[in-house]
Amino acid sequence: MWKEIGDRESGKLRPNSFISRVRSNRASSLQLSNHKEIVSSHRGSINSLQVDLTEGRYLLSGASDASLAIYDIQRATDYEAGGLIAKHKPILIDKQHQNAHKYAISTAIWYPIDTGLFVTGSYDHHIKVWDTNTTQVVMDFKMPGKVYRTAMSSLATSHMLIAAATEDVQVRLCDMASGAFAHTLSGHRDGVMAVEWSNSSEWILMTGGCDGAIRFWDIRRAGCFMVLDQSQSQLGRRPPLLDQSTTKVDFSINTFSARAPQRKVGSGSSSKHSGNNKILKHAKGSAKQRLHPGLLTSQDRATAHYGAVLGLKATEDGMYLLSAGSDSRLRLWDIQSGCNTLVHYEVVRLLSSKAIQLAVTQDSGIVFLPCMTSVKAFDVWSGKSRMTLQGHYENISCCYSNHDQELYTGGNDRQILIWSPPKLMPDDVDELDGRTGQPPAADEDNWSD
Amino acid sequence: MEWEADDGRTVAVVVGLIEKATNSTKPDLDPRILKSIKSVVRYSDSELRLAVENLMSLMKRDHSQVRYLTLTIIHELFMRSKLFRTLIVENLDQLLTLSVGFRRNQPLPAPPAIASKLRSKAIEFLEKWNTSFGIHYRQLRLGYDYLKNTLRYQFPNLQANAARIQQERRERELRTKEILLKKYDLLKSNISSIKDEVNSIVDEVSECLDILISSKEENVPLDPIDEEDFEDFRNIELRTIRENSLKEADKVQENSENKVVFDALRELYKLLVTKHLVAVQESISVLIRVELSDNRLRDSMLKEFIDIRNHLKLIKKKCEEVGCVLSIPENDEEEDIWEEGTSEPSNISKPVTPNKQNDSPSCSNSKETIANLKVNPNLDPLKSKLLVEAPVMKWGSFLDNWGSNRDHMAHQRGLEVEGHWGRVDYDAVIPANKIAELNVQATVYEEEHKEIPQCRAPLKKGGMCERRDLKVCPFHGPIVARDDDGTPIAQETDVKNLSREELLEQAVKNVRERDKDVIKKREHDKKELKRAKLAKIRGHNDAVLRDAAMASTSVSSAIGELDLGREKDSLAKMLKKKATAKDRLATRLLSRKAIARQVKFGDDDSKYREAFPNQW
Repeated sequence: MWKEIGDRESGKLRPNSFISRVRSNRASSLQLSNHKEIVSSHRGSINSLQVDLTEGRYLLSGASDASLAIYDIQRATDYEAGGLIAKHKPILIDKQHQNAHKYAISTAIWYPIDTGLFVTGSYDHHIKVWDTNTTQVVMDFKMPGKVYRTAMSSLATSHMLIAAATEDVQVRLCDMASGAFAHTLSGHRDGVMAVEWSNSSEWILMTGGCDGAIRFWDIRRAGCFMVLDQSQSQLGRRPPLLDQSTTKVDFSINTFSARAPQRKVGSGSSSKHSGNNKILKHAKGSAKQRLHPGLLTSQDRATAHYGAVLGLKATEDGMYLLSAGSDSRLRLWDIQSGCNTLVHYEVVRLLSSKAIQLAVTQDSGIVFLPCMTSVKAFDVWSGKSRMTLQGHYENISCCYSNHDQELYTGGNDRQILIWSPPKLMPDDVDELDGRTGQPPAADEDNWSD
Repeated sequence: MEWEADDGRTVAVVVGLIEKATNSTKPDLDPRILKSIKSVVRYSDSELRLAVENLMSLMKRDHSQVRYLTLTIIHELFMRSKLFRTLIVENLDQLLTLSVGFRRNQPLPAPPAIASKLRSKAIEFLEKWNTSFGIHYRQLRLGYDYLKNTLRYQFPNLQANAARIQQERRERELRTKEILLKKYDLLKSNISSIKDEVNSIVDEVSECLDILISSKEENVPLDPIDEEDFEDFRNIELRTIRENSLKEADKVQENSENKVVFDALRELYKLLVTKHLVAVQESISVLIRVELSDNRLRDSMLKEFIDIRNHLKLIKKKCEEVGCVLSIPENDEEEDIWEEGTSEPSNISKPVTPNKQNDSPSCSNSKETIANLKVNPNLDPLKSKLLVEAPVMKWGSFLDNWGSNRDHMAHQRGLEVEGHWGRVDYDAVIPANKIAELNVQATVYEEEHKEIPQCRAPLKKGGMCERRDLKVCPFHGPIVARDDDGTPIAQETDVKNLSREELLEQAVKNVRERDKDVIKKREHDKKELKRAKLAKIRGHNDAVLRDAAMASTSVSSAIGELDLGREKDSLAKMLKKKATAKDRLATRLLSRKAIARQVKFGDDDSKYREAFPNQW
């Protein structure tokens, strides 16, 4: 840490690179935060967590008891134990609210542009758009079935669509501007559990269904343009574009070349692959990809998982997609080629009954996956398990990684836990102590004999 | 290399200690082993880590006893070491799962009694940990919160309870203080009236006493100075006796003249003792206990009351000297009863005693009754000796003419002559020896009451078998003499005392028996062989299994030859369900046969009902 600061000071290290290193360091040293605590007033399992994208300050949570809560995660409402523990209390909307949902809220997301609006979807077949300031519903979409997941594009400049994954086979796009369904995307053969907008294009939508298929849709065109096939694989990472903006790519190449020797090579047939940046892709796949898949029934029946696709998460750079399925597999897909990268993640077992929410760190180095009662952190590129975050007492259904490398997890035990990198400056605490004038009992060895 | 070797040795130490501590069937840890664990772990972090690992693996054992002991070790270390806390807290949910057993798919293992103890202990420990270290460990808070608010476990709530008890005590004290204050106020207002009352009664009593004393002075007492002169040469005992008697004489005797005075005095005395003295005592205690800002008034009142009390006591003493005794009626009655009881046997014994010379009505069970006789030490030695020897007879009419050697008159109605107004035939006489024959006391043989000795074989649950059987206890075999621990005292048959013939006989018998045994042995030899073979195979299997078990736990191999065998047995025994009488009954009753029989009965019944529907 200090060496890096020194390097930065002397100019050896570029600012971006320095930032990303600090970030990845922090992200890989998460532990259960003792100093920050969210007082959850939910009375059911927490299904959805999101911090707003504009300020990074307000955490929105939706729970099974049809309650919604918003927490200010930067300013604590009160302190305990002499300022040692900061407590964050929510503004809660529960069933008593006149516009509240009737059944469990499965998804709650912020409007990506500002914190004035948020969107919730529930098992009572409704998607509601809320005004944050008045806590009133400003728009209500009636869906044909239970809503599993909603998504809004953070890049969108030309549309304001809420993509809704429901029990129904069709994915609907709700237009907030008009209050009507703009699109009805049909192609899945079963309910849709996961939906995610692309991080590279505002028109690309990715959905995962209970039929095990992951479909890519271009909302400007009819039908889906790609169905991911788990048998269609490529080994290793696609080489980054050479003319892409300077530093970040440098860094990613560096990290890649460093990790390459350790990477697991999947199928035995093409086990020897030399050259870090070489694409190994099946020729057939690339040929088919250009065709319209709606016409090709063989490709249309491809599956990404054996069983339902429970969660989707696109990496921040928009190049990769992570998918978790009820076959207890986590897969990394190359969005451009639509190929399975054959990274093996050491997942033990996934909760298979409901949709789960994955999280990826900002530099897409680590993916956090809720596995039953623990959250597992995997290295995205090698699939190695980095950490197992154990703190919940029941199954975890969602996690969200904040931009300041904090991780929020919510589970069936009604708790929202904050996982944060260890505090570098314990002096902070002393200062707090001085302010409140009540030093807490020290945690020290206490040998009597 | 040396470092490594050193490490290896220490590994064996802490792991071995923990293993030893947990491998016991006792309800508590051996404090010595615990202490050595603590001291080992205190000075080495690496060993602490090893201990944590080992303890967590022990928690996974399928035996509640092991888990319980492990948990107590964990608690001891948790309260002391910070590193231990941080390490344990990382896996707290697992620890709680294994100790509280809140997950349905992972219930606590076998001995259910210990399992419930384990659970309650774990909950108690968690609460303790949470109160003392909760603010430093989020995991502790989470675990506590989860068990308390989500699973609704009942925590002992020690801290809150203590606070509540404190609060209650404080309230009680406050209340008593208030009451005292009230009493004090009452006393303050009443003090003059109390004083008046006391004074009046004191006056009355003293008047009564005056009257009595003045009446007493009429009869002149002996001259005390005179006595002292001639008492010098007498011994002290006699002197005291004399003094007592003199004092007795000094006392005013109650007679018809002063009876009225005595009655009044007694009344007053009673009032004094039961009412006024008690009241004064009480008010003194109130004054002592009451807490006031201004103590002067209280002190003066206290002084007054103490004076009053002393005065009252003085008067009471005087009254007692005169002869007033506060007697409660029930007590009197009891005394009466008791006195009657004691006076009776002495009366009875008197007529019996002089009849020693007549031994004709013999008594079979005289010996044992003699001992019971209370011998009055005041009687002369011959009499007492006779008393000891004399038989105790049952009461009967024959006692009327006990020892009389005369002939008896007889008539048609029997032997009674007194109260017979009719004609008396003086020739009809029954001679004395006939009478004696008639009077022979027949007694029913009473079996000598002998205490049947207890079996006193040691029981597993502690204590001795309390069955009383004559020869053989159905559970523990023949009854033999045992010492206090229940181990039989070997009784050697003293060979020396046997006579020669007996020895010969015995020898012949033994030889014959041996021959028989040999024949039997031959018969059984084949069976034995077979059994031996089977046993060998079984033993081999056991050994293999044991080896496998030892090999699978690295710990056990590290310890080597600890005395695992017996302890293991007992630990395993705890898992086995003991067959209680209930179980045995259940097997009998719920066996297939029994049920079938029952069903059959039922069938019969139903058939019968069908055949005769009008008969219930």
